[in-house]
Amino acid sequence: MSLNQWRKFAFFDKKIVKNESGEPFDALKPYKIWASSSGRGKLFFGDADGVIIVMDQRLEVFTFRAHLLRVSHLCMMKQQNFLVSVGDDDGDAELLIKVWNFDKMDASGTPTCARIIRLPAETSREPVTCFTVHENLNYMAIGYSNGSVVLFKGDITKERNASKHIQIHKGKSPITGLSFRPTTTGKGGIALYISSLDEIWSYAIGSRDKESESILDHHGCALQCSTMTDSTVDFQFVIGRSDAFYFYLPDSRGQCLAFGGEKVLLEWCHGYLVVVSKKDDSDGRASSSDSLGGDMQIITIYDVKNKLIAYYGPVQEVKALLCEWGSVFVLCNDNKLFQIKEKELVQKLDMLFRKNLYSLAISLAKAQHYDQDALVDMFRQYADHLYSKGDFDEAMSQYIKTIGRLEPSYVIRQFLDAQRIHNLTAYLSALHECNLASEDHTTLLLNCYTKLKDVEQLDRFIMKRSANKAVSFDIETAIRVLRQSGYFKHALYLSELHQKHDWYLRIQLEDNKDYRKALDYMAKLEFAAVEANMRTYGKMLMSNVSLETTELLKRLCSNYGTDTNSDGEEIVLHANPEDYFHIFITHSEEMRSFLECVLAVRSDLAPELHNTLLGLYLESYKKCTADVAAAKERAGLEEKIMDFLRGTEPRNYTQALLQCQMNNFAPGILFLYEQKAMYGEILQFAVDRKSYDGVISTCRRFGEKDPQLWVQAFWFYASNFGEYDKALIGEVLKVIEKLNLLQPMMVVDILAKNPNATLDTIRDYIIRRMHTDERKILEDEAQVQKYREKTEKIRKEVDLMKSGAQTFQDANCSACDKSLELPSVHFLCRHSYHQHCFESYAENDECPACRPENRKILDEIKTQEQSKDLTQQFMTRLGKENDAFSVVADYFGKGLFGRNVSIDDLIRPNGES
Amino acid sequence: MSYAYLFKYIIIGDTGVGKSCLLLQFTDKRFQPVHDLTIGVEFGARMITIAGKQIKLQIWDTAGQESFRSITRSYYRGAAGALLVYDITRRDTFEHLTNWLEDARQHSSSNMVIMLIGNKCDLESRREVKKEEGEAFAREHGMIFMEASAKTAQNVEEAFINTAKEIYDKIQEGVFDIQNEANGIKLGPEHASPGVGGGGAGARGPGSSSQSGGCC
Repeated sequence: MSLNQWRKFAFFDKKIVKNESGEPFDALKPYKIWASSSGRGKLFFGDADGVIIVMDQRLEVFTFRAHLLRVSHLCMMKQQNFLVSVGDDDGDAELLIKVWNFDKMDASGTPTCARIIRLPAETSREPVTCFTVHENLNYMAIGYSNGSVVLFKGDITKERNASKHIQIHKGKSPITGLSFRPTTTGKGGIALYISSLDEIWSYAIGSRDKESESILDHHGCALQCSTMTDSTVDFQFVIGRSDAFYFYLPDSRGQCLAFGGEKVLLEWCHGYLVVVSKKDDSDGRASSSDSLGGDMQIITIYDVKNKLIAYYGPVQEVKALLCEWGSVFVLCNDNKLFQIKEKELVQKLDMLFRKNLYSLAISLAKAQHYDQDALVDMFRQYADHLYSKGDFDEAMSQYIKTIGRLEPSYVIRQFLDAQRIHNLTAYLSALHECNLASEDHTTLLLNCYTKLKDVEQLDRFIMKRSANKAVSFDIETAIRVLRQSGYFKHALYLSELHQKHDWYLRIQLEDNKDYRKALDYMAKLEFAAVEANMRTYGKMLMSNVSLETTELLKRLCSNYGTDTNSDGEEIVLHANPEDYFHIFITHSEEMRSFLECVLAVRSDLAPELHNTLLGLYLESYKKCTADVAAAKERAGLEEKIMDFLRGTEPRNYTQALLQCQMNNFAPGILFLYEQKAMYGEILQFAVDRKSYDGVISTCRRFGEKDPQLWVQAFWFYASNFGEYDKALIGEVLKVIEKLNLLQPMMVVDILAKNPNATLDTIRDYIIRRMHTDERKILEDEAQVQKYREKTEKIRKEVDLMKSGAQTFQDANCSACDKSLELPSVHFLCRHSYHQHCFESYAENDECPACRPENRKILDEIKTQEQSKDLTQQFMTRLGKENDAFSVVADYFGKGLFGRNVSIDDLIRPNGES
Repeated sequence: MSYAYLFKYIIIGDTGVGKSCLLLQFTDKRFQPVHDLTIGVEFGARMITIAGKQIKLQIWDTAGQESFRSITRSYYRGAAGALLVYDITRRDTFEHLTNWLEDARQHSSSNMVIMLIGNKCDLESRREVKKEEGEAFAREHGMIFMEASAKTAQNVEEAFINTAKEIYDKIQEGVFDIQNEANGIKLGPEHASPGVGGGGAGARGPGSSSQSGGCC
């Protein structure tokens, strides 16, 4: 039989209630307790003399007379401070119900009687066996020994509402128990359970008077052997019979606990079923206590939820069980009061741990809303225990419950063994489920999956979990691990989903070698991502799928969509083409098309790009040059290059030129020279090639802009005398002559350098020149003669002035134009003045009339003398003027090349007479 | 929660075959590897849907031990369906089926739908009873048969629901007298006719006749 029992524990301690002095509590001794109830922190006892004894937690007792003869039933409300008593008030055995209001005490400290209800006449003479009041004070039921039940409806505390009472049940056997099912939750609403000796009924009290009675069972229970449970077991009615406890729902039977023994008293107390039963003969311990007297009973406390016996012990014959202050109070027949007090949870758990009953401990702790940390610790202990027993699966399921509180490494370390990789995997995935996994955990989990080759799990982990974006692991780590273990598909999926473009491309390119896919992927990305990734992977892509890569690059660098900048303006996104040049190494074809495309679209690029493209053109041109067959292509290319050179805006000519030169692209070189007006170079180019026609045509074309070309041409022709059409040199000479570019002597000199040159080439020229010169000499000589004569004349004049006498014949003053009078002043310039006129006009000893003229001359001389930077001026003029010689002469005259005659010397002779 | 019908079930079979675990799996969707012995009768309930109708299942899970037989027998009465469970890894539990069946037929209404369940089918390596044997036994006694595992939840739902379907079909065929609650079928609140709701004239009838099964 013991096997068919629940586990027994000592979760309660029984002790006799003692007062302050340590003596057993004996205040109840004088009374003959007939009824009892408890609630709102007090115990109530009704005695056979009609007195109600009220006892509080400090064991203080007060009494008041409630009935004249006897208190037969008491019912204390839990929610309101009302006590309802049933008792005799006269010898006639007519019972009265009294409602006591404990909130309204009268002067002597006794509660007021709110109402007295007389029992209905037709049943009042029957002995009342049961009595119960619903907590809402609206229902009250009385059971009689003749098997009838009377229900009172309406507020029982108020006289006015004459509550109606109806007989709701009439059975054959005495009523033994009445309980209201208090709740209205679920279906059925409030119900009254009725137990008689033979049957169990439930009476549904509907709100709309749809009241019905239904039988629940065909066997009943003894008096006091039924009780109402609480919400923890859904307010079932429970009865105790000798074979078992039976539970009832309002509409059906519920569970049944087969605990044998004759029950005496049932009470539901804080989720426990407290049962007093007669001692079981089969129980050896109980019989051994016979010495205490034959009326020993056993008190058992069942925890129905957790399926255990929380307390089990003998007790003297019990009169009443009361439930208050978290304890069970047992009133024995001899009025001794025992308290059965529940132990602290910690103590209980301790007991369970000692017996390794962890799961029980956990459910117990949970039921009592135990602290979470402590619970976790219990899980851990349980798991450790299971682990030590070798039950790894179970241990793991416990460890999983510790997630979030217990350091994961503690668990992981224990399961690192390859044998337990399944458990480890479970733990790790649970860890991820809770978003508590670190990078290492992800790595480990993925490693587990890959080790187990559990692709399905892996799929689920990767695909499902990440699909809803609520990622519970570190993506990068996951990708790395998957990649390392060769699960590229998963890695790709992850990286695509989470936009780890770098990873995606790396895997696609380096592992899968699926360049096309990588490229397609890249093409879908945002600008910044493409820009960066192309830089990294472009080379690889180019070497494999060059065409598509080029296309993408073109798009990237020309117009990759638009974006709005911070100012809200639309800007076209494009990358800097130069960043991608390295990709094109050994792919000049692609690069050419790339650059063509980019340059066509964009105008903001550095000139170097043009040069690069030019370089590419030239390179391919050069290649064609080598190949005779590609003449046509070459021509086309040449055209293209020229177009290119012509078509674009000012750019770095030097670079372009250099490239053309390097690649020996004549048209380009010439074009560029022309653009830069480097005619000499053009000529030189022709010269270098000994292109006689070229030289002359160059001269013809550019001679006007740079006459010196002719000179150069002349040099060229002269030095290559005889190898060309003589007419050419004649033309050159003609121009030289016309523009007087060279002195005849030099022409002769130049020509003389070439031994092959013949005089007849230049004979005409020389003759012409000589004639010209001759004529000029003659002209000059005539001029010289003229000046000489003039000079002579002046000199004579000066001499005259110096030595000869001067006659001043002016009769009038040069100033006032009146006839001169003495004193007068006469100047060599033949001006005469009155003394006073002169003084009034003159500033110094000069002739006032001549003074402005003199001053002008003097100033000029002075200026010439003073100009210190004449050299500079001279040089510029020398450069500017055609006839350098005349400039030199001019300056010579101005005394540039030596100290001039003193001006003072020139002026002195004009002094005063 | 309102329902169209309420079916009462009972789970029977030798001790340790996994009756309580089947119930736990069905009502709570969990498995408890270490399960205490059932002392008496446990109770569970769940709503299911059949043919678009809400059906409430009230299930009594009985103790398998012989010593509780007298108590559990009283629960046969008023059950519309029974799950007769054996353990495929224990031959003796299969051999006791005849006794159980006899007991069930004797104490229950003759229309009770009985489903035979070979539990623990996840333990294939320890199998002692062939599936074919179970099938044959079921066929012979007019039962539905299914192998299930309370641990993996395989066929657990199906076992309960198929039984309910069978009962439902029988109701449609008119085999069951649904006004008689002794058959273990109750109409839901919205279906209840005044006769049924009114205090159980029908329910009281069979009470006296089958009282002998209650306790002795």
